[in-house]
Amino acid sequence: MEKPQLIVNGLRLDGRKPDELRPIKIETDIIKNASGSAYMEWGNNKVIAAVYGPKEALPKHTGDPEKAIIKCVYSMTPFSSLEEHGRSGPNRRAIEISKVTKEVFENIILVENFPRSEIDIFIEILQADGGTRAAGITAAAVALATSGIPMRDIPYAVSAGRVGDTVIIDLNKLEDNYSDADMPVAIAPRNNEILLMQMDGGLTREQFKKALEMIKNAGKVITKIQREAIKKPYEDLINKYGAKYE
Amino acid sequence: MNDYLKELISSGLRSHDRGNFDYREIKIKSDVIKTAEGSADVSIGDTRVLVGIKLDVDEPMPDKPDEGNLITSAELLPLASPDFEPGPPNPESIELARVVDRALRSAEAIDMKSLFIEENKVWSVFVDIYVLNYDGNLFDASLLAAMTALMKTKKPIYKDNKVIRENLNEYLKVNNIVVSTTFAKIGDILILDPTGEEESIMNARYTIANDGNNIRAIQKGLYGSFKEEEIDNMVEISFKKYNELKLLIENATK
Amino acid sequence: MKIVLPGDEILDRPIHMENTFVENNKTYTAVLAMLHDDKLIPLEGLWYPKVGDKVVGRVEEDKFSIYEIDLNGPYSGLLISKFVKSPLLVGDIIEATVKEIDRYNTIILYKSRKLYGGKLISVKPSKIPRIIGRNNTMLKQLIEGTKCNISVGANGYIWIKGNNIHLAIKAITKIAKEAHTGGLTNRISDMLGVKNGETTTNS
Repeated sequence: MEKPQLIVNGLRLDGRKPDELRPIKIETDIIKNASGSAYMEWGNNKVIAAVYGPKEALPKHTGDPEKAIIKCVYSMTPFSSLEEHGRSGPNRRAIEISKVTKEVFENIILVENFPRSEIDIFIEILQADGGTRAAGITAAAVALATSGIPMRDIPYAVSAGRVGDTVIIDLNKLEDNYSDADMPVAIAPRNNEILLMQMDGGLTREQFKKALEMIKNAGKVITKIQREAIKKPYEDLINKYGAKYE
Repeated sequence: MNDYLKELISSGLRSHDRGNFDYREIKIKSDVIKTAEGSADVSIGDTRVLVGIKLDVDEPMPDKPDEGNLITSAELLPLASPDFEPGPPNPESIELARVVDRALRSAEAIDMKSLFIEENKVWSVFVDIYVLNYDGNLFDASLLAAMTALMKTKKPIYKDNKVIRENLNEYLKVNNIVVSTTFAKIGDILILDPTGEEESIMNARYTIANDGNNIRAIQKGLYGSFKEEEIDNMVEISFKKYNELKLLIENATK
Repeated sequence: MKIVLPGDEILDRPIHMENTFVENNKTYTAVLAMLHDDKLIPLEGLWYPKVGDKVVGRVEEDKFSIYEIDLNGPYSGLLISKFVKSPLLVGDIIEATVKEIDRYNTIILYKSRKLYGGKLISVKPSKIPRIIGRNNTMLKQLIEGTKCNISVGANGYIWIKGNNIHLAIKAITKIAKEAHTGGLTNRISDMLGVKNGETTTNS
């Protein structure tokens, strides 16, 4: 395929400015069996995240006497992309994403509160349009926040990348395919601690700085959307009936 | 032991009298396996990694009909460490292979178009990373070995539907040299090129691959986190180390 | 009153308490909660066992001298067989009291009572105080309004038995969902047709 011109007159093919996020919608508590769950639409991405536990670590020898172990499964449905039917079972990409996602939440969850236990995080990509690992982490963070599992912060994730000389935020699938760099990052916003960072392509040091700056600015927007989604069901009821303080 | 090590590191006294941003001794040998089209044996301190390169005739990827393929995999052999277990690739070995793959691919280390044979036939380059002894920092050792092996890889000849692998003269076309630098964060201290012992107590890991001009791949690992200033610092050091590492590769591939 | 989210600062001094953590001499909430004056009321939270807690559980394993009890969380309860009046079978539901918590987080139980028949449901442990209500008011009206036997465990398991079990579950689900709102006692009494602790006749 011929490489399309991704930026025309300063705008991207979907009409966005370089530093503009796609629209994000999050709804919580969509899987009743889970301790916490969220459904997210991020542009054309559709993602479900569910959290189970803490429960007894199984098999028992996998338990850690000092903390909870986190298990994470990121997976894409076989019908989630425009290409051919996806193969079932985790591929190498999914295994790597599951690993780095798990590491984000090992940082965030107060794992030391639950020795020998296990917390499971499931991320299912129903429809994919670029940036699914970032969407998955962002959705899983919301699911966790509604679960009652204690955590230090509500992390967000987003990708920055480069098209020619332009650094852009939140690459969709087409941009991802033809971009000159892609850098997914997850951050705990309270202290701006970087929890995940991957990159491929090419970035000069200046472009790298710019990408990180753009990610932090986008993070303010994403954090706000996450917080509103988490609070909404509770606030709606408070607005209706008033709050009870005991 | 762990507490002792942590204390040493936080007081700036690393074992082997090494500075926090110094590599251990690096040794690179190319052409160590005669049956492979290319190979290299790299040791960083007691870490030892062997990379073998094979080329096979294959179909191109549908979206890149005029380019060859690059397939990177990594084996953490049980003989390399008491902690490595036999079995299918685990997330650690998959991550290692994918990061090396991303660095090579992003830096366009190999001229992928030079791997085109004829319509629907291209060379697939298999980069197989075998860890022979584990003492930390597999990422840097693996990329050094892969890069060196690729530079000394001889391209087989495809003639009359047959692959000829003997008496070859033509080297694989390598366009760019990419190297990586891996840091460990132990407590609040950053160190370059962690040993196995240091890795056992690190809370986070950060690998940057660069080609002297551009950052080509990044991979942060483990539960710990980094401040932006720490990342800036590591990126800076990574670029400073480029020439030193590149020279080692060049000397081994003369 | 405001809603606070995990990682939000709630006090500028370090106070160690449930559902919070301390960092740099400040206290942060670790869960989604309401903050009223300096009081943190979790909207969602797990059960942190305490001696004296009343729990409901299900016999998971019979290890001859001890019963292992599923308590809706990562840690099992243990009941010493010889202190149990009549033998239990795997699957039996019991209520009991927490006697002690050992260093492996095993929850040692005593004062157990077998609950015959009925159904076990689970709610988030943070909802339990509201399901019981101040001075048991909510639980009393649940029992009166549904004519069910109900046993509520601090661990989030609730045992229900009776003809109106579906109504009871519906009411408990509503309490759990609206636990943080005012006027809930009245809404539940309306739902169950109970007034001032007395059943009203439908005319």
